[in-house]
Amino acid sequence: MIQMTEPFVHIDQLTIQYPPKMVLNDLSWTINKGENYVLGGKSGTGKTTLAKAIAGLIPSDGRVSIHFDPTLPLSPKVHYISNWYQFTNLEGDRNFYYQQRYNRHQGQDTLTVKAELEHFAEQENLDFADIADKVVEIGFENVQQSQLIELSSGEHKKLQLVKGLWLKPQLLIIDEPYTGLDARSRVVLNDWLDELAKEGVQLILITNDQKLPSTINRFAYIAEDSRLINVHGALDFPKDNKRQKKKLPEFLKEVPQTDYDIIAQLNNIHIRYGDKEVLKNISWEIKVGEKWLLQGPNGSGKSTLLSLINGDHPQAYGHDITLFGNKRGSGESIWDIKAKIGMISPEMHWYFDQNATVWHTIASGFYDSIGWFIDVKFQEKKQIIELLEFFDLIKHKDELLHTLPLGKQRLAMLARTIIKNPPLLVLDEPCQGLDSEQTKYFNDVVDELAQHGKTLIYVGHYESQLPSCIEHRIVLEKGEVMTNVGI
Amino acid sequence: MANYFNTLPLREQLIQLGQAEFMDSSEFADGVNALKGKKIVIVGAGAQGLNQGLNLRDSGLDVSYALRKEAIEEKRASWKNATDNNFTVGTYEELIPSADLVINLTPDKQHTAVVNAVMPLMKQGATLSYSHGFNIVEEGMQIRKDLTVIMVAPKSPGSEVRAEYLRGFGVPTLIAVHPENDPQGKGWAEAKAYCVGIGGHRAGVLKSSFVAEVKSDLMGEQTILCGLLQTGSILSFDKMIEKGIDAGYASKLVQYGVEVITEALKHGGVSGMMDRLSNPAKIKAFELSEELKDIMRPLFQKHQDDIMSGEFSRTMMIDWANGDANLLKWRAETGETAFEKSTAGDVKIGEQEYFDNYLLMVAFVRAGVELAFEVMVEAGIKPESAYYESLHETPLIANTIARKKLFEMNRVISDTAEYGCYLFDQACKPLLADFMKKIDTDVVGKNFNEGKDSAVDNIKLVQVNEILRNHPVEIVGTRLRKAMTAMKAIKTV
Repeated sequence: MIQMTEPFVHIDQLTIQYPPKMVLNDLSWTINKGENYVLGGKSGTGKTTLAKAIAGLIPSDGRVSIHFDPTLPLSPKVHYISNWYQFTNLEGDRNFYYQQRYNRHQGQDTLTVKAELEHFAEQENLDFADIADKVVEIGFENVQQSQLIELSSGEHKKLQLVKGLWLKPQLLIIDEPYTGLDARSRVVLNDWLDELAKEGVQLILITNDQKLPSTINRFAYIAEDSRLINVHGALDFPKDNKRQKKKLPEFLKEVPQTDYDIIAQLNNIHIRYGDKEVLKNISWEIKVGEKWLLQGPNGSGKSTLLSLINGDHPQAYGHDITLFGNKRGSGESIWDIKAKIGMISPEMHWYFDQNATVWHTIASGFYDSIGWFIDVKFQEKKQIIELLEFFDLIKHKDELLHTLPLGKQRLAMLARTIIKNPPLLVLDEPCQGLDSEQTKYFNDVVDELAQHGKTLIYVGHYESQLPSCIEHRIVLEKGEVMTNVGI
Repeated sequence: MANYFNTLPLREQLIQLGQAEFMDSSEFADGVNALKGKKIVIVGAGAQGLNQGLNLRDSGLDVSYALRKEAIEEKRASWKNATDNNFTVGTYEELIPSADLVINLTPDKQHTAVVNAVMPLMKQGATLSYSHGFNIVEEGMQIRKDLTVIMVAPKSPGSEVRAEYLRGFGVPTLIAVHPENDPQGKGWAEAKAYCVGIGGHRAGVLKSSFVAEVKSDLMGEQTILCGLLQTGSILSFDKMIEKGIDAGYASKLVQYGVEVITEALKHGGVSGMMDRLSNPAKIKAFELSEELKDIMRPLFQKHQDDIMSGEFSRTMMIDWANGDANLLKWRAETGETAFEKSTAGDVKIGEQEYFDNYLLMVAFVRAGVELAFEVMVEAGIKPESAYYESLHETPLIANTIARKKLFEMNRVISDTAEYGCYLFDQACKPLLADFMKKIDTDVVGKNFNEGKDSAVDNIKLVQVNEILRNHPVEIVGTRLRKAMTAMKAIKTV
């Protein structure tokens, strides 16, 4: 029985470089049968690169060997679920804009979820009956008829997970499995992973999270010198260095001018897509200076509600909405509205201009554009430099945004959000994909900003990881307001 | 109705044809003010109608949609498009009488019927807007003398008009005022405000005329944009099959090749596209394209002549009256070509491979762009107009071929473009018969560089580069592209 002693995955001195950067240097790793790993540790150590090399998505020069077990009724494959999804429309186009899901038109741009799953089933020879229950459990049954473009970020994450788990590959690698998932779905996911492990699927999860499937029995991180270090548990992973708190730039300490008392007033709002009602009778008043938390499960209508406030939703016209003292549809342009709002959301980040450098990303915040087109003025340039220094991004200023580690990208997006010192900050899951240290740093900055007269709407899933300035909470469920209270 | 252009004295024809001024951004400082508080009613809610309306409303303007009674009663797609986005929708009778600006965004072929229905309902002194001048110039539609007639023509599909606006940018736009209909002298102010409302002022605006727009648009679409891309694609595919290249590979190369190749054209002009080839390949493509230009020049000239004389639109309108008999027949024939019936193979073709293995298409594109541009300019059209209607639009059309081949291209483009495309294609193929006999797989289907060393003669290369870079389409293009700095790269591979 030689086969049994052969390791499942064997990596022998793997080196991967993206000149001038060496990402992995002489890394060796052996995964035996029955070992289910969590790969954690600091950002930028090459975890994602390693995962992609194992999955064969980047060339590994024959340094990675995998011994599938022909006796298992599982597909002899490695499947990698990326942290960053990308989908195409029916014609293979990927040029979307983040507001597209609110603009209604009759032509179909992308496949429906159902069609996408059917297509996947046909391609991989799978049977939908095998996951019918899971789809319900994970709260994904109501979106079957939705087009891919209409999904929220959390729902997209679920789609990637459903596909990957359905496949039952012998090795399943999930990069940041919990990003953007609501609390209930996390539990469902962990149980599902445990079930698969029992059937023989081996796991590598890339995360620093501590609520893990019980089947996880190995923990490792990649050290500075590319050695793979085994540890006892997720608590032992090295953490990113505590960021040194810097002094907030002076221009952000100015209280923004407001000649109105109420930032936003929404009365009895209903938003429908065909027969589907995504917001039901929503009323919400936000006064100047208030700090709000907006919560709700994936697909409960949070982003749609925010899109009514930041000028992104065409159906806002004709509803009883007053923003910054002006009734919506009374002659204001969306650019007048956006000028008063600093906004960040996972969708905006996903669809952000791929050609934008860090500098251009931040500069575009002055014009509320996705990408940068106009020369900035002297004073604006000064502010950009101050913020780059504040967020320790100065040495990355000419790099393309999407090539930085996710944590740094989020900081650059936050810098874009606050660069014009707007009266209202709309932070829709700003810490999605950040680890707890990064999240804490981010929220500390938000708290400090909030002291200077800004109004805040913050969307976050976990109670434990919120800015402390929050004083009001609104909770949505299936498009309805469940709670609307001070805290 | 008489052809408007043909009723003009030569002096006036030349003035209107030669109208093309690239506008300075300071001309748009007044924003949308000229239309602020005015009632804007859009007729038609297809891709252009819906997306322009969404932009205008998001710019703070008052927009509603007038649709035909049947479209409303039967809840057709146009009705759904408008109501799903919370627009007011009504019949012509309900909405047109109170409109200050009526924007006609229906297909060309319906213009006469739409304008005849709308005009009697329009209030004294209102404005009527077009996005294409065919109805005014070729059909000679006479508009009531109290009405102002303007044109605002974004040079992109409707979905792009919306996407670019929401990015905070816009698409290049052409604006015009009909000299016969500007009784109050407000035409330019309103056209500029409308242009700002859809975001066009951020990407470069060309001050044009109805005549210049029509005569250049027709020329561009039937020669380089649709005609030549169709001919080149079919001939390339057939050649590869004849020479034993795998059909799946050939199909994919042709379907996606023009998009990849013209993406380089979009960013760097003809020289940018040619620079993607190795030096020996560039010289080969140059030589082939010179030959193609010589062979096809008379055909391009004939198309321009027929457009100028009104002969083209006359014969096309006869076909309209005849229930599109010819158009439908030719469309069916295109559907039957071997390329159209082929399926793109499941093979990976790298971005550079599309250039190296499809040099023939690079030669076709260079020849077609330069010829269309040269012939238009010779005919009195200004280089700025000629640029937009040749080079600028080529990648947009190529994108439709990548989506669903030629059938899709012909379905998406206007009726006039489709009709002209078939005329060109039918005449061009026999013209190129001898040329194609000499073509082998080294320039279509296989890597031209394979087995060759990359040496070239210095002087020859310098000469070729100089000719490419100094062509007038490159000179005007460099200037106009500067205004489109935020041009989005399309992910082609």
